[in-house]
Amino acid sequence: MKTQHDPTTPLRPGAKRSWLRMRAVSRRHAYVLVRSPHRLFDVTLWPLVDVLMFGSLASFIGTGNASGGKQAAGYLLAGIILWHIVYQSQIAVSTGFLEETWSRNLLNLMVTPIREMEYVGGVALFGMAKLVIGVGLMMIGGFVFFSFNITTLGLAVVPIAAVLLLVGWAISLFVIGVVLRYGPGAEALAWGVMFVVLPLSGVFYPIDALPRAVRPIALALPTTYAFAALRGVVDGEALNWAYVGIGAGGAFVLSLLAFWFLVSMLKLFRRRGYVTRYA
Amino acid sequence: MDTVLSARGLVKEFKRAIAVDGVDIEVKAGERVALLGPNGAGKTTTLLMILGAISPDKGEVEICGVPQRRNRSHAAEHVGFAAGYLPLAGEMKVREYLMMFGQIYGIPDPSKAIAEGLERFRIQHLSEAKGTQLSSGQRTLVGIVRAVLHKPRLLVLDEPTASLDPDVAGRVRGGILELCADNGTALLVTSHDMLEVERLCERVLFLSAGRIVADGAPTEIAERFGREDLEGVFLHLADENYQPSDPPTSQHTDHIL
Repeated sequence: MKTQHDPTTPLRPGAKRSWLRMRAVSRRHAYVLVRSPHRLFDVTLWPLVDVLMFGSLASFIGTGNASGGKQAAGYLLAGIILWHIVYQSQIAVSTGFLEETWSRNLLNLMVTPIREMEYVGGVALFGMAKLVIGVGLMMIGGFVFFSFNITTLGLAVVPIAAVLLLVGWAISLFVIGVVLRYGPGAEALAWGVMFVVLPLSGVFYPIDALPRAVRPIALALPTTYAFAALRGVVDGEALNWAYVGIGAGGAFVLSLLAFWFLVSMLKLFRRRGYVTRYA
Repeated sequence: MDTVLSARGLVKEFKRAIAVDGVDIEVKAGERVALLGPNGAGKTTTLLMILGAISPDKGEVEICGVPQRRNRSHAAEHVGFAAGYLPLAGEMKVREYLMMFGQIYGIPDPSKAIAEGLERFRIQHLSEAKGTQLSSGQRTLVGIVRAVLHKPRLLVLDEPTASLDPDVAGRVRGGILELCADNGTALLVTSHDMLEVERLCERVLFLSAGRIVADGAPTEIAERFGREDLEGVFLHLADENYQPSDPPTSQHTDHIL
């Protein structure tokens, strides 16, 4: 007969214990969010501001041109809502890690048995909650202010969103790696990197609209294919699985590279004793 | 007696200097050991290598027989760490903070261990306080409770009573001694308070310029360096003219490395 584990003693190694650790990290970040209201801006105010800005822009473009206006509204609002999947997933994991450096909790964590992937998993788990709140508010805002209902695009949005989620997490691993290497001075990258990725990904327009010189960079980004697939869906076409496949493959490769980079930077962090920056 | 910590040939060199230069440390189960030395002697670097937060250039660390380099996570399960200089996460209540670390150590319900720890250090009343509301002494006490939730085989403390008033420092010492006696926990502690070390530890390792220059009981070491007490030894080693290769002024050198 299988005996019940005494919950006051440590679990044996395994998925159950990893899940327990991930939940502990996730709950810690939930406390931080709830108890410091200014951090709620990321998941409430900024998403709504973006919906207002891009929705208004679409309305302006559409003045006197009903069909063009509808298309612009679709591109801009669907684009910004799905862009927030990349943004929220990236920023949640990056700032989750930065929170440990701001509160000088990094050394406390580094000497515990938590594994790097358990920690990142815990922050990403919490990030999912932030993402649901942020993107949910955008969907409501788009509907209430501009009568734009993203759910009319159907389930085709799901695989596109999955690619964007993976890219967001991959970028956050790069950001954490850079902060480990260069210290607090590199924190601005957590926000700044998104302003580079956004225009190059063709979130609101086909990348043919970009200057010729930067198009190769755009072609190398998995997000470009995800947003190209999204525009097709907005135009009423069937989901372009080829684009989704390229995007997914690119996101997978990017994730592997990002994980390798993070592990390398963590080794360097330990070798050079950079933890003393935060102690 | 089981060996809980075995560090062999630890070397760490930073850009400008060798911080740790061939340190060997062995700590047995239940043993209380102090790692002493002047500022810059390499104490904290040594502790951070033992904890796996800094990787050594050379040398190996084993915690309860588990190699730190190959299995950091498993080795860390046997260790607890607290430092007087580390704050608590500000937005969390003490209970929530301890709950998080208890679960990171794999305990699904650490409530009992939290209650015991808070009681041991007489800070039950702080359970619902936030990190930002605590004094530095209270933060240190909570940090030690966090470090022992999982009943580690080895407790590592870096400057645990720095800047604490005598009452709180006494409570810290009392709690630690009781904990070591109850659980058979080994202790490795750094401190600049020599009186505290004499009260808390049965063995002392003196570090100077990254090397261990003395290893023995506090009274033995004082005698062998020809000083009245550990403070005298400390001042002697802190003397900028002191070289680790200098012989002690005593005739006895069998335990002087």
